[in-house]
Amino acid sequence: MDRLEELIRAKIPCPETGIEVKHTVCAICSPAYNCGINAYVKDGKLLKVEGMDEHPRSRGGLCTKGLSNRGYVYREDRILTPLRRVGERGEGRFEPITWDEAYKEISDRLLAIRARDGADAVAFFGGYNKWYRPWLRRFAHSFGTFNYGTESSTCMTAGWMAWKVAAGQLARPDMAHCDLYLGWAFNPYYSGYLNAQAAERAKAAGTKFIVIDPKITPTVEKLADLHLRLYPGTDGALALCMGNVLIQNGWIDKDFIRAHVHGFEEYAAYAANFNESNVERLTGVPYAQVLRACEMIRDAKSISSHENSAPIPHHKNGMQNYRAITALLALTGSFDKQGGQLPTRHTFTHQIAGFETREEEWMDATQPEHIRPAVGEERFPLWFHTEREMQVVDLARQIDEGTPYPIKAVFGMGMNFRMLPEDGYLAKALGKLDFFVNADLFLTDTCKMADLVLPVCSSLERGELETYPGGYAWFTQPAIDRVGESKSDVEILRDLAVRMDLGDQELAAGYEANIDSMLTDVGVTVEELKKAGVPVKVPRFRPYQPGTRLAQGLDTPSGKFELYSELIAAHPEWGLDPLPTYCDPLDGADPAQYPFVLCSGGRLPHAIHSRLHKVEWLRAMQPEPTAQLSVEDAQALGLKAGDDMELYTPRGSITVKAKPSHRVQKGVVFFYHGYSEADVNALMDKDHVDPYSGFPAYNATRCGMRKKAKP
Amino acid sequence: MSKRYAIDLDVSKCVSCGACAVACMDQNDLNVKQTRPFRNVFDMERQEGEGTTYSHLSLACMHCVDAPCIVGCPSACIQKDPETNLTVFDTTNCIGCHSCAMACPYGVPGFGPDGKMVKCDGCYVRVHHGLKPACVKACPTGALRLIDLDGPEEIAPENSLRHRSMEMLSKQV
Repeated sequence: MDRLEELIRAKIPCPETGIEVKHTVCAICSPAYNCGINAYVKDGKLLKVEGMDEHPRSRGGLCTKGLSNRGYVYREDRILTPLRRVGERGEGRFEPITWDEAYKEISDRLLAIRARDGADAVAFFGGYNKWYRPWLRRFAHSFGTFNYGTESSTCMTAGWMAWKVAAGQLARPDMAHCDLYLGWAFNPYYSGYLNAQAAERAKAAGTKFIVIDPKITPTVEKLADLHLRLYPGTDGALALCMGNVLIQNGWIDKDFIRAHVHGFEEYAAYAANFNESNVERLTGVPYAQVLRACEMIRDAKSISSHENSAPIPHHKNGMQNYRAITALLALTGSFDKQGGQLPTRHTFTHQIAGFETREEEWMDATQPEHIRPAVGEERFPLWFHTEREMQVVDLARQIDEGTPYPIKAVFGMGMNFRMLPEDGYLAKALGKLDFFVNADLFLTDTCKMADLVLPVCSSLERGELETYPGGYAWFTQPAIDRVGESKSDVEILRDLAVRMDLGDQELAAGYEANIDSMLTDVGVTVEELKKAGVPVKVPRFRPYQPGTRLAQGLDTPSGKFELYSELIAAHPEWGLDPLPTYCDPLDGADPAQYPFVLCSGGRLPHAIHSRLHKVEWLRAMQPEPTAQLSVEDAQALGLKAGDDMELYTPRGSITVKAKPSHRVQKGVVFFYHGYSEADVNALMDKDHVDPYSGFPAYNATRCGMRKKAKP
Repeated sequence: MSKRYAIDLDVSKCVSCGACAVACMDQNDLNVKQTRPFRNVFDMERQEGEGTTYSHLSLACMHCVDAPCIVGCPSACIQKDPETNLTVFDTTNCIGCHSCAMACPYGVPGFGPDGKMVKCDGCYVRVHHGLKPACVKACPTGALRLIDLDGPEEIAPENSLRHRSMEMLSKQV
């Protein structure tokens, strides 16, 4: 092998090989991360990725998922041109058409539906990632409807709602300064390595960790000083019992409560119901361990608590459990103090960077008159009150039943019907629509149901604004050639806004002009950010001073941290409880027939949603959809590792591989979501949802398990 | 100046997340349908009495100092890179006899669709250019390291996969 061949094979960036390293961003998982990528590129093609050393937050890191970007970007089922359906819905037969034809058809069909049935007859559905969401929301408003909703109808928002109800805004843990970290469902080794690195630094500096998780995860192994192993969905009962123990022993911050907490007496009276007599029965955690946890809280100078998007919220009692958890921060005076939970706001597309843009004002500048209720608004009034968008959990029902008014068309961007419980119901409902468009990178099962499919590009093929904690902003540049004729989601929305003559000059002006207007108060322009090439600190960033918000008074009816929500109390017609009351997390199926708890919440390090299941490198890590169950249950059912087993509920059954593990408690089975061939959401009940947030209870469904008989 | 390098794992830091394995696939254009990955991770548990211990492993070529695969190959395809002492190969003359795989105590050598041997080469060309091996660069917990065998010990012996496996092998011999 000659030297040049060796250099090319090793992908060494240098003049001889012609390989260049370009900075770009990973958008596979949450915008809370958006790690920097060094893309090895030649002739516009991506040859390799690695972490971007010059990035101030990710500092050269990339996780299992992010490292698969080349497999993701060049996945076999990337859509190359706009497509028009020629077969039956779901059959997947399409003909390629031009962008002009696609735009014309979308424009004509949506405008005709608006003229005939009103703008609300069209629902705008955003999937994942989140980068284009302000544009899609504004587009829906400019079109004339509040029927814009996203994947966040089932992820993260319930936690934010809990915070908005309690404190008027979100809050984040100040892990770097805390004495004790309450790691509710905390497993960053699988879901966010930057958080794992931060936790390891904190642990080395003396921070103690209590991990509250049904599973024995690597986080339990590596970080936990105390592991509270509760049953899925019982976090509220555990948190209320902890609150009660703290109160009974006087291990609370009375001055803080007097000055800043509303509803303490009512809370204390309710929490007293959770005590030594019942906590183990309700949660599986022995009272002695609850007491031990409370002693650790007593001995800590500062406590912060993990915020999480899915594990706590994905229960029918999810938002209430979240409130019960945040209550511990109020009782101990840990809110808005260094080392506690610091109030914050989103900077941009759900990123929290410590400075404020005009994103919110921009995306809501063309709100229509609110005449008819948005999809899900009547069923989930608190959701609409705090979020002002449709709750997509109710979309299938409204399409199917036509009440309170019919939905005739869905315009989706990255929409995935499989994300919803009992998802066959939504798939069937989509079949009833007059018109269904979906834009995506890949020809997914949902795209196959659409009348028109639009190809979008990945984050490596476009430029976009990113913001990062510590006051950083970055404007990326495309690192590689676009695959096929794909366009960015925002370009599509701009083109359509012009074509449909929505009269929205801002949308017509395009992404960079829009970003400049959102950055007005930040003291930096797109041009300057582009020139910098890497994330830079924005000029007007000032670190938050803990205590500021409390001194101003919180944005709640009482101005205080509300353990008793005056917002909820003011709306008895909602039928919701002002206190963080607790209920059993399971559905109503017969426990004799369905004795196990099916939890689709345990994460895999090589998967997020369904988007990586078809990336071969990652799929090789666990080729077959596999359920983790306890060794005890496996023995009782005669199951060994690798055996075929069935998971079943009254809705149906799926066949998966068995993986017995001591990591899982007896009576519980974990199975990851998003597999077309073993779709766990099909087993769930569409009405087993949280009445507060609308979130589906993905993490606690009664199920049966059995060994699959050999054919 | 030539060095003696190897890739070692701090088993106390590994979580078997697989980042190393995927980085390796990307670096080496691995077709997982045809060829076994060069690097694999293992998430293991063992019940002992009432308790269970959990352990994690990331395994590829250990770049042994006295590499038995080198001696085992009848076609002299495998050698030590003079600059890094990593175990590299040129399989032009490989006859696909699997002798290297038989000789390797870790079962590392794999075989491509053409029947010729493939394995981790320690990304030695990257190392020549001052870059880390792809897996080492990727490891989010800092468990995988490119270590200088003549430098100060970077991983405590009780946590070093290299130390522990050598110990085990020496007991077998």
